[in-house]
Amino acid sequence: MDKFSVLLFSGLTNGSVYGLVGLSLSLIYGANRVINFAQGEFVMIGTMSAILFMATYNLSLPVALVLTLGVVLAMALALEFAVYLPLRRRGAPPLTIMIGTMAFAITTMGLALLVWGPNQLSVPNILPMEPMTVGPLITNWQQLAIIGAFVAFLGLTWFILYRTSFGLAIRATGVDPKVALLMGIRSDRIVRFAFLFSATVSGLAGVLIGPLLGGQISIGVALTVKGFMAAILGGLGSPFAAAAGGLAIGVAEAMIAGYGNSLYAEPIIFLIILMILFVRPYGLLGDFEAARR
Amino acid sequence: MLQLDNIRAGYKGTEALHGVSMWVDAGTIVSVVGSNGAGKSTTVNTISRLVTTYGGRITFEGRDITGLGPAEVVDMGIIQVPEGRQLFGPLTVAENLRLGFHRQRRVKNREAAFRDKLDYIYDLFPRLKERAGQRAITLSGGEQQMVAIGRALMAEPRLLLLDEPSLGLAPLIVEKIFDVLSGLRAQGLTMLLVEQHADEALALADYGFVLSVGKVTVHGPGVELRSNAAVTSSYLGHAGAA
Ligand SMILES: Nc1ncnc2c1ncn2[C@@H]1O[C@H](COP(=O)(O)OP(=O)(O)OP(=O)(O)O)[C@@H](O)[C@H]1O
Ligand SMILES: [Mg+2]
Repeated sequence: MDKFSVLLFSGLTNGSVYGLVGLSLSLIYGANRVINFAQGEFVMIGTMSAILFMATYNLSLPVALVLTLGVVLAMALALEFAVYLPLRRRGAPPLTIMIGTMAFAITTMGLALLVWGPNQLSVPNILPMEPMTVGPLITNWQQLAIIGAFVAFLGLTWFILYRTSFGLAIRATGVDPKVALLMGIRSDRIVRFAFLFSATVSGLAGVLIGPLLGGQISIGVALTVKGFMAAILGGLGSPFAAAAGGLAIGVAEAMIAGYGNSLYAEPIIFLIILMILFVRPYGLLGDFEAARR
Repeated sequence: MLQLDNIRAGYKGTEALHGVSMWVDAGTIVSVVGSNGAGKSTTVNTISRLVTTYGGRITFEGRDITGLGPAEVVDMGIIQVPEGRQLFGPLTVAENLRLGFHRQRRVKNREAAFRDKLDYIYDLFPRLKERAGQRAITLSGGEQQMVAIGRALMAEPRLLLLDEPSLGLAPLIVEKIFDVLSGLRAQGLTMLLVEQHADEALALADYGFVLSVGKVTVHGPGVELRSNAAVTSSYLGHAGAA
């Protein structure tokens, strides 16, 4: 039971981050049909900025958080103005723009290498990491904070999408951007919001997951891949399905690593996902979401 | 109110409109008729600024709108009911109607104004009130057309562009739609009505333009065009029978 509980929480914790990346990818995809292959780099920059502001410059937590947010938002605008808009203006199809986001991801990593170097740095934890028991379960504050952030961002996303006019405009653009234009909805604003909101979500996830993953500039790529798998597994069309997919991958990964062999965890998970997609090509919750919307 | 001067427009280098000139006076219904591929939808989408213009000028209420984007002309009050309805299928009827209200997002007492408008639409199409919570894609063709028109009216159009509202509908429903349009005219709404089934359209219209392969070939008062033998035989005969 103890082992199970430890594995479950570590799975939910990583899964929350995969899920938040998946949610980010799904929101951006809905706005412009582009998969942002740089999304994991926003998590990485979140983690590394936390090191920079909290450890290197010794700033207080609130100040460090605001500055980190500033960095990832600036990064989102850089992605939009230096990659997305120039390509879109020249009539580039989504596939071309995706390659553009990949170029942005690799450039970001290169710049991060200059700032932080190639080694793993320790990330200051915001919350205590000592194990504590909640009923029969064993966890710690850092894990609970990440899971809490996951729930909070899901709630916030739901509120925006289903309880505001702007959210309705986002959903309409996701269904058909051209008809949305006929309503007077400016899809470029929806796209900007998607980039900025996703950067916030991923950047804060980075600050929280840093102490557990370790601060290394290479963590972004794996997070992009797992976030993307999460979105495909859950159903790319819905940010909530994508988030659920992330949780599923995180928990499966922890369980297979814990009870089996951590070396095989990733191949086994991707094989399972492949099998699931044979049966449900639109993702586990894809049809469900399509029917519910 | 709306004026097209010698408009040349098209898609990726191929020109579909070769110098089209038309006008719509305030408070009138103008009908644009013509057979398949004549350029009717291209004309409507050029006015909505979805199609690139290669030459000519579009003015609306004295203002040159040729350089504007689609969302900007919507903000000015040029609202389109697109060909084939083009509803947001996975969204509910009520959500589709609310999206039409997007143009009004900055009015005072927005929620109250929205409720008023919604009540007005439900008065016009009582069927939609029953279907409010249903996803648009699950409606019949006639009901979908009501949503499409209702959605456009939610924007409080100054000029309503209708692209073949009768497309694929049973005669009884078509009649109902045309009744609604003449009711709207009575309230002073200006309309540009594109129809392939030209007889009803010209009967309703104050003025008409016949479009053929990207050019206006004949224009005149609706009744005149309707009785014009040349028009009937060459452009409307087969279309009317279709
Ligand atoms: N998206 C597009 N890309 C390229 N060419 C197009 C496009 N849409 C229309 N065309 C071409 O422009 C011309 C006019 O088409 P348009 O759709 O305006 O005709 P229409 O009068 O609306 O016909 P219909 O009665 O069938 O709706 C046609 O030759 C058509 O092939
Ligand atoms: Mg057409």
